[in-house]
This record gives sequence, structure tokens and C-alpha cells, in this order.
Amino acid sequence: MKNLKNTSCMKKIILPLLLLLFGFSAAIAQEAETDKPIDKPVRSPFASDVLIDNQTGVVPVKGTFEWLIQHRFGTMDNGIKDVFGLYTPGANIRMGFNYSLLDNLVVSYGLTMKNMYSDFAVKYALLEQTRENTIPVAVTLYGNMAIDGRNEKVFGVDYNFTNRFSYFGQVIVGRKFNDWLSLQATGSFAHYNSVAADMNHDVFGVGINGRINFSPQSSVLFQCDIPLKIQSISEQLDWDVAKPNFGIGYEVSTSTHAFQIFVTSSNGILPQDNYMYNQFDLTNGFSDLMLGFTITRLWNF
Amino acid sequence: MKSSNVMMLASIVAGVFLLMSFVIPQEQKKPSPWTVPADYVKKANPYNKQAADLEQVGKMLWAKHCKSCHGNNGQGDGPKARQLDTDPGNFTTGEFQTQPDGSLYYKSFVGRDEMPNYEKKIPDEEDRWALVLYMRSMGK
Repeated sequence: MKNLKNTSCMKKIILPLLLLLFGFSAAIAQEAETDKPIDKPVRSPFASDVLIDNQTGVVPVKGTFEWLIQHRFGTMDNGIKDVFGLYTPGANIRMGFNYSLLDNLVVSYGLTMKNMYSDFAVKYALLEQTRENTIPVAVTLYGNMAIDGRNEKVFGVDYNFTNRFSYFGQVIVGRKFNDWLSLQATGSFAHYNSVAADMNHDVFGVGINGRINFSPQSSVLFQCDIPLKIQSISEQLDWDVAKPNFGIGYEVSTSTHAFQIFVTSSNGILPQDNYMYNQFDLTNGFSDLMLGFTITRLWNF
Repeated sequence: MKSSNVMMLASIVAGVFLLMSFVIPQEQKKPSPWTVPADYVKKANPYNKQAADLEQVGKMLWAKHCKSCHGNNGQGDGPKARQLDTDPGNFTTGEFQTQPDGSLYYKSFVGRDEMPNYEKKIPDEEDRWALVLYMRSMGK
């Protein structure tokens, strides 16, 4: 019953918000048609469409097919004994496939080892930052739905297929400040249809991430995602919110590839898992940090 | 492991190294002449006056899209150049630099054979001409 109530509440808030944003985007597009000369979008604010665990505002050009391999190794607490987690059990892997239907719309499917999540996602670049600051920031919407693929026994006695579903929505506001610095702020919402009795179904979060570009192909990446503890939306009187997710890494990119290697304090890969379940705590040091990498390959059709 | 087996293994390894020493590196073939459509040959770079501003953009694009084959300075000595069947050429030579801008544009973005099409990867006209400007700077 509570689930139904939450879902209808979500619809009431999210639908008008989306309509408003789409309307705003159409109005901007009309203005752009009449004003000349055209203020073009800034050049590559980010080198790829992912940034460690987050999405960037970048959407590859229409007709681009992308294959991603995302990997999180085990924790680094054993040091050199298992080469800082590279050879320890507990790794998580996601294989993803993206296809750009439009220059500003990409759809994707991915399969993650943790919980055998199958996720279906849409990313829409609502506004692109322009060179002359006609539009000072890029605004991107990202949403996904994931299906937990584990055995149904995991979901308890009142099993229903929809118990497997989880959702994630994010608004990303980004700005390329100059050729070496791009930053993004995110506002996120995650919902799980089925959670343990002492947890909430919903969580809001905020985040900041960015890129410091120090050569034409190389950059430093960083991210910080913080789940928020909000009593007014909680179903519990006392509960522990998931731990914040920090990450720092290095990215090198070419025409068809991006390679990121990083240290993070979360291994969920899927954003809703990170915001809802992350228990790795940066303050514990090596025991809660792990190495990871992302490789992308692009094909243009 | 028996000593005869060790000897056998050592002989096989030695034999393989001996055979490998007879492998002659394959020569890269010289590219056949390009046929550049007249429309492209006539194309002039509309951004010539902004050369100073766009050269840095061209340099960034070069590093991302071209450097791996054509090398840092266009001398055809990038890390992937030796895997190509065709010699990628030397862009610092007079022979290369005397070509019209339009020809460079066609060869760079329309491409043929091992030189891939870059029209989708570099969709913006200004960016493409910035790369042509950067290639021009290699002859200086």
C-alpha cells in the first residue's frame, strides 16, 4: 500500500516537472532559430559520457553505438598480498551497451554482476552550454529502471515480479569553465519497490563531480555523491542512510576509446545501488576503498 | 620432468626463435594517388583569419583523433603507424603542404581505405577547418 502511495506521489511531482523542462527546452530552441549568428555548444566539456560512477552531460552523436566495461575490484585492505584488491574476491562488473537515437538522446542496456541487475536507461541532453554563454550551463536528465535478477527466494514470501524493480532519476547541471575545468552538480532520486523492513523505499541525493584536463588526452576525474537523510520522506523513525560515494581517477581518451582508472568508496556501479546500499566508508581508509576501471568503445553508424 | 623432455622443449623454443629470425618486416605500400572531387578541391578555408584562435583547437583534435597514426608532428610515426598497410605519409614536407586546403579537408574527413571517415566523429565544420589549420602549421 505504501508502495502505491509513493508511486502516485512520484508521478504527481515528476510528470509536471518533466513537462515544464521540455517546454523550456522547446522555447530555447525557437529562440536559437531566430537569433543569428548561432551560438554553438561548447567543445567537449567531458571526454566521455561516464565519469567514474556518474553520467556526464555528453551524448555521443546520433547513430553512435557504445560498449562499456565497468569494473570494481575488491577492497584494498590486504595491501600487496592481493595487489590492493586486484586479486581478491568481491569484484563487480557491468557490461553496458548504449545507442544514440538522436544527437541529444541515448538509450542503454546493461547487466551488472551485483544482484544481476538488468538496467534500461535513457539520457536526454536538455540544454547544451554555449560558447557565448547564451546558455551558461548544460542540463541533462538521466533515468533508469533496473530489474534485480536474483532467485525469487531473496524477495521473501509475498513474491511479486515487480519487487525486483528499482528506479533512478537524476538532473545534471554542468558547466565547462575553461579548457581545463568542467564541473557538474547533480540532484538524484532512487526508489526500490522492495527493501528490508528497516529501510526506506526512497532516497534523495546530491552530488558534485568534474574533470581537470591537463593534456589534450588526459584528465583527472573526481566525484562525490551524498545520499540525504530526510526525516519528512522517511518511513522509519531511525535509520542509517547509505554512505557517501567518493572517487578520484585518471582518464585518457582517443577518437574511439575512453579509459578511466580510479579509486572509489562504492562498488554498486548502478547509481540506485550506490545511493541506497553503499556501506563503504571513506573514513575507514584502505579497508573501504577499491580500485576500478571503465573502458568504452565507440562505433559510428 | 624428464631430462629428454626438457631437451625437447628447449629445442622447440630454440627452433621457434630461429624461424622468427627469418621473418622479414613487411614494407608499407605507398598510397595510390587520391581522386579528390572538384567541389572539394575548390573549397577554401573560411576560418583562415581566425588561424591564431583555432590552432589550439586543431591541436587538441589532432591529439585525440589523429596522433595515434600520424604522430605528434605529422611525420607518420604514431604508435599505430607500423600496423598500417599504407604509409601514412609525412605532413611536414613541401609535397604535402602544397595541396589546396580543400584536398586536405577531403582526405582528412571523407577518407578512404585505411584512412577512416571522420565526418561523424568531428561533425562541426569549424572544428574540421581548425584541424586543417593545424596541419598547415606542421610545414612551418
